[in-house]
Amino acid sequence: MGDSLKLIAAVLITCVVAATGLTLTYEVAAPRIAEQNRLAEERSLKAVLPDADGFEMLEDAAVLERATAVADPADLAAIYRATEQGAASGWAIKLSSRGYGGPMQLVIGLDGSGLVTGVSILTMNETPGLGTKVMTEAWFMEQFSTLPGGFTDADVRGLDSISGVTRSSSGIKNGVAAAGRIYAAVLANGEGGAQ
Amino acid sequence: MKDLVKAFRQGVGIENPLTVLMIGLCAVLAVSTQLQNAVFMGIAVTFVATMSSVLVSLFRKLIPNEVRIPVFIVVIASFVTIVDLVMKAFVPGIYQVLGIWIPLIVVNCMILGRAEAFAYHNRLLLSAADGLGMGVGYWLVMVLLATIRELFGTGKLMWFETTLVSLPAGYAPPSILLLFPGAFLVFGFMIAGSRWLNERSAARAEARACRR
Repeated sequence: MGDSLKLIAAVLITCVVAATGLTLTYEVAAPRIAEQNRLAEERSLKAVLPDADGFEMLEDAAVLERATAVADPADLAAIYRATEQGAASGWAIKLSSRGYGGPMQLVIGLDGSGLVTGVSILTMNETPGLGTKVMTEAWFMEQFSTLPGGFTDADVRGLDSISGVTRSSSGIKNGVAAAGRIYAAVLANGEGGAQ
Repeated sequence: MKDLVKAFRQGVGIENPLTVLMIGLCAVLAVSTQLQNAVFMGIAVTFVATMSSVLVSLFRKLIPNEVRIPVFIVVIASFVTIVDLVMKAFVPGIYQVLGIWIPLIVVNCMILGRAEAFAYHNRLLLSAADGLGMGVGYWLVMVLLATIRELFGTGKLMWFETTLVSLPAGYAPPSILLLFPGAFLVFGFMIAGSRWLNERSAARAEARACRR
């Protein structure tokens, strides 16, 4: 009996000391982590809609539910309404789409008429030097701005992929296609707020 | 002092965790596609290996034999979580790429292995030298592997936004080097190279011993 108490005490003390150490580290790191996440999100919103000066998250549950349904297989995370000097100027859609190395978190900017203003990658786990070409080969991201307003899946499929990087390219293209479906189904008819 | 240097050198050379013991390989093969990632991953592993060896050695007389593994795991997991939080807060760009591999250092058998096989039986400074040596040995091999894979797999070597070295424009990089088969191929050659080096230095040591 005395022996097992000793064992329990040893593990218990180790855990308590470890937990205390972790709590202290977390106290120091947590505000910085939150700040870094906020900055990363802000940068990506700014990157896709450079002219906007304010972003406001859509909170209407019914609208979000329908948007989530049409976004499938991509995973909708949030829709932001962008404003420019108080007037609505477009949307930023944050979603994740499956690439080669798991989900890629994307932010897609659309202007009031559904034209793509930019696509930026928030997080991804693609093979460095190979899958990451979707980020480094500028033409790939730029070609989305040639899509017409209210573009469809077929329009996106017609765009080029990077050779040898098929699945990462498809990840991005599927994400943009999902944003197009969300625009057509929900945002275009003004349900995402007054336009 | 001499035995400290010996413990350190064993980790780097004849007992190198990667090319000789071949433990903790999966993370190495995965993150060694870019020099910059390998450097930070190696620093994280070295930190965890050294700190957990120090702590385990410090309390080795108090840790009951029956529960030593859970205690080691808690110690290692705590250091890994500290690294995880610090990297998230201060180098978010790197953290984003290394992603899951940082938390997975917890189950890196090299670290648990050294805690169990060395730090639990040896005095503090010796264990610290062993942990540090193992970490540095791990770091060196991973950085070399990443340098080869990145340079020949993409045609240039990057450090954040700066290009360090770039191969002539006519070079068409074979992307297999960036994928897992390429990692195994290059790593195989590195094992051969390290065996050759170790055998040569053993032969030299023997020759020196004979002359005396």
